Amino acid sequence: MPAVPLDKLRAIVGPAGVLSGVELSPYVVEGRTPETAVFPGSLDDVRAVVELAAAEGIPIIPWGGGTAAAVGTPIAPARSGLVLGLARLNRIVEHEPGDLTATAEAGTTVASLQAALKTRGQWLSLDPPDADRATVGGVMAANAWGPRRHLYGTARDLVIGMTVVTADGTVVRAGGKVVKNVAGYDLPKLFVGSYGTLGILVDVTVKLRPLPAEERLVAVRFERLKDAAAAARAVMASDVIPNALELLDAEAARALGGGPTLVVGFDGLGEQVDWQCGELQALVSPLGGAGVQAMGADAWPRLAHAAAVALGHQPAALMRLSVLPAQAGEVMEQAAVAARARGLVCACSAHAGVGAVVAALFSDQGQQELTRVVATLGDWRSIARGSGGHAVLEWAPLAVKSQVPVWDDAGAAGRIMQRIKAQLDPQNLLNPGRFVAGI
Amino acid sequence: MATLDAARKSALRQELEAIVGRGGVLADPDELLVYESDGLTLFRALADFVVFPTAAEHVAAIVKLASREGLPFVARGAGTGLSGGCLPAEGGIVISLMRMNRVLEVDYDNQIAVVEPGLVNLHLSWAVGPRGYYYAPDPSSQQACTIGGNIANNSGGPHTLKYGVTTNHVLGLEVVMPDGEIVWLGGRTRDTQGYDLAGVFVGSEGTFGIATKVVVRILKKPQAVKTVLAVFDAVAQASTAVSEIIARGLVPAAVEMIDQLTIQAVEDAFGCGYPRDAAAALLVELDGLRVGIETQAEQIAHACRDAGAREVRMARDESERALLWKGRKSAFGAYGRVSPAYMVMDGVIPRTKLPYVLDRVNAIVAAHGLRVGNVFHAGDGNLHPNILYDPRNPGEEARVVEAGAEIMKLCAEVGGSISGEHGIGLEKADFMPFIFSAADLAMMQRLKSAFNPTGLCNPGKVFPTKKSCVEVGPVAYRAHPIEEKGLAQRF
Repeated sequence: MPAVPLDKLRAIVGPAGVLSGVELSPYVVEGRTPETAVFPGSLDDVRAVVELAAAEGIPIIPWGGGTAAAVGTPIAPARSGLVLGLARLNRIVEHEPGDLTATAEAGTTVASLQAALKTRGQWLSLDPPDADRATVGGVMAANAWGPRRHLYGTARDLVIGMTVVTADGTVVRAGGKVVKNVAGYDLPKLFVGSYGTLGILVDVTVKLRPLPAEERLVAVRFERLKDAAAAARAVMASDVIPNALELLDAEAARALGGGPTLVVGFDGLGEQVDWQCGELQALVSPLGGAGVQAMGADAWPRLAHAAAVALGHQPAALMRLSVLPAQAGEVMEQAAVAARARGLVCACSAHAGVGAVVAALFSDQGQQELTRVVATLGDWRSIARGSGGHAVLEWAPLAVKSQVPVWDDAGAAGRIMQRIKAQLDPQNLLNPGRFVAGI
Repeated sequence: MATLDAARKSALRQELEAIVGRGGVLADPDELLVYESDGLTLFRALADFVVFPTAAEHVAAIVKLASREGLPFVARGAGTGLSGGCLPAEGGIVISLMRMNRVLEVDYDNQIAVVEPGLVNLHLSWAVGPRGYYYAPDPSSQQACTIGGNIANNSGGPHTLKYGVTTNHVLGLEVVMPDGEIVWLGGRTRDTQGYDLAGVFVGSEGTFGIATKVVVRILKKPQAVKTVLAVFDAVAQASTAVSEIIARGLVPAAVEMIDQLTIQAVEDAFGCGYPRDAAAALLVELDGLRVGIETQAEQIAHACRDAGAREVRMARDESERALLWKGRKSAFGAYGRVSPAYMVMDGVIPRTKLPYVLDRVNAIVAAHGLRVGNVFHAGDGNLHPNILYDPRNPGEEARVVEAGAEIMKLCAEVGGSISGEHGIGLEKADFMPFIFSAADLAMMQRLKSAFNPTGLCNPGKVFPTKKSCVEVGPVAYRAHPIEEKGLAQRF
């Protein structure tokens, strides 16, 4: 195996943009240390680095804020490749308030983009966790979301264009700058959630929304999860238009004061928020809900991690179950029953309106409980499938990942995905082996 | 183009009839003529067969047969498309989905419906309406166009300003792949893993395969709807009002602009209550909670008055609202009052460029000695200049095509797109280089190859190509063969 050509990389991006030795420690994933980490300062740099890597056959691991770097199938590749970091590409290229669109370079953090948009009364209606580290490009690649997806959708609904460097170093413009566009194939959709396996996102153009006049997050506590779930369904069938609908089981709600809890967000004019809070109270009371309690705005970012931090120590595994929305509560109950049956504890939360459940599994001991953790994750996957969905092992130690597939079976669609990968990255250099269907 | 001799055609007909039954195959030239164009009558091409499957297995069998024979095939819905996308550009088999038109299942708890592709768009909203739900994408042709056709073109409509286009409402599809395999892309849950295959399939203009089942989101009907009509003495004022509405942080469900020529045609045809002397009107619709909607309507009215509206009024009741929308949605038909033919363009521009681009569009069309009517989705910058012409006048059609190309170039120059909702099809295939580089197009080709490696599935579309067997020419009246035989009469 030839050494990675550090001198050539330095010639492209400058000496400060190429890391080696101990500088690489932040980029170690599951014990694999990359051969180097390269930080291009321009689109042309990215193109040149990819071209060089392609010529030398070096795998490329695209890197934004690193918040999702550990997601994926554990691999032991022949060579660990180079991390291509987008951190230096962090400018907001364009924000035209009158068009409700903005273009940001991929390494721009979500928080800094939101801060800039806020000065003009607008926002990107996407609220992924860890916004101060997560980058615009990374959020697209990992298809990250937050509670407000209930009303505003996910990355696929908001992205309208991208500049991408493909596996052979070609610059491709996907989509455009206008909010409505059906010219050619919808390439931006292809890159959302592709985990860096099809191309390097260099900049992203998104649709924006005006900031609402007011926003309020409220919580309703229940005695039983079943009732909280029924309340979530009642909200969905009612006239209120929440921007978030979160269901937390008793464990996940510990930090909020405990008890199964329904957390609901409202935005709009003040009178609309007030009316909806009143309506919510009327909906939940007959179902055993307590009083509607206002939460601070600082509670929003904590919702994403509610399950993972529930017990105050690192979970043994985090699984994301995608199920039919109306079954979210039942799936959470079944997941808890399955964990208990194996002598383990779990905490679950869900974006109830879209059926996105996060289940955290906890164990006191490492090795001896491995079998029970693995078995429980298998149960959870069956539960998700039983509800017409699937489950992704979002995070787990290598010992668990080596026994539980990270991705669910993609079936016949997986073969189409493999064909797409083969078309776009025939050398299999972009984040190889980490993704669905062995991609 | 594949040419079939009589013996081979007869043998194939029998095979197709064995799949779909004897009533499900058209092969006589007279019958095939009905399917020679879509809503854009400028382009025509004849198929060897039109086949009407009633099940996914039929579609798969037809596709396998076509592959075996090396015959091109193309799916067709109601044929309301406006870019020639469903034409059999290189002959072969047209697969009509019009007999697969059922609502298979509605799951109100999960707010989804499973439907067949030949279902008429509006019929879905009718089916779920009694329970307080509707299907949001609302193309103006929604009384006739099908969900499958909407998927091919990623169709929009007035209310997509707030609610998004077709792709934002499709969760999963059962698809017959170009090799005949039946595959699910996406599914019933909101999230799937892996590449967003449903996302790239929507808008692929029938070149990735044929959808045979579709899972769509249905939405709760809003509690309240408020429709505002703002009347202007200058088009520029109406454009400014659109910017004012956006600048004030308002998010209407729809913002539609209608110019004078169109208003007059609509009033002649339907009498919908638009003032005939207005230079332009904006139809703005708000929906959502009852609480606050009056406040928001007032803000809209203020924005319009500040931009110079001479009159702003609210629809008093549902019937007045329906009448205003009828005028908007029937505008294309109303052009028949003022011109024997028209060609609708479908460009998109950044909203802030609206005043400049509208001026330029009018100037371009005038320079070609033609008239234009504008009725379009102003809120999202999706223009529909309708160039009026008379195909019987020699050379006029060529001028229409030239003016159209100049308008597309203009949209590209200001950072826009050459299609917002009608698709590229045959019509705009040669305009793709206006907005995409060779590398961009090459990537699209690679994606196409992953789905459709033989290219038999709807060939000749989307990409700039060598000329296919498409007839482009005057659309003046020609006698149908059954008229010539005296079997039918034209009135």
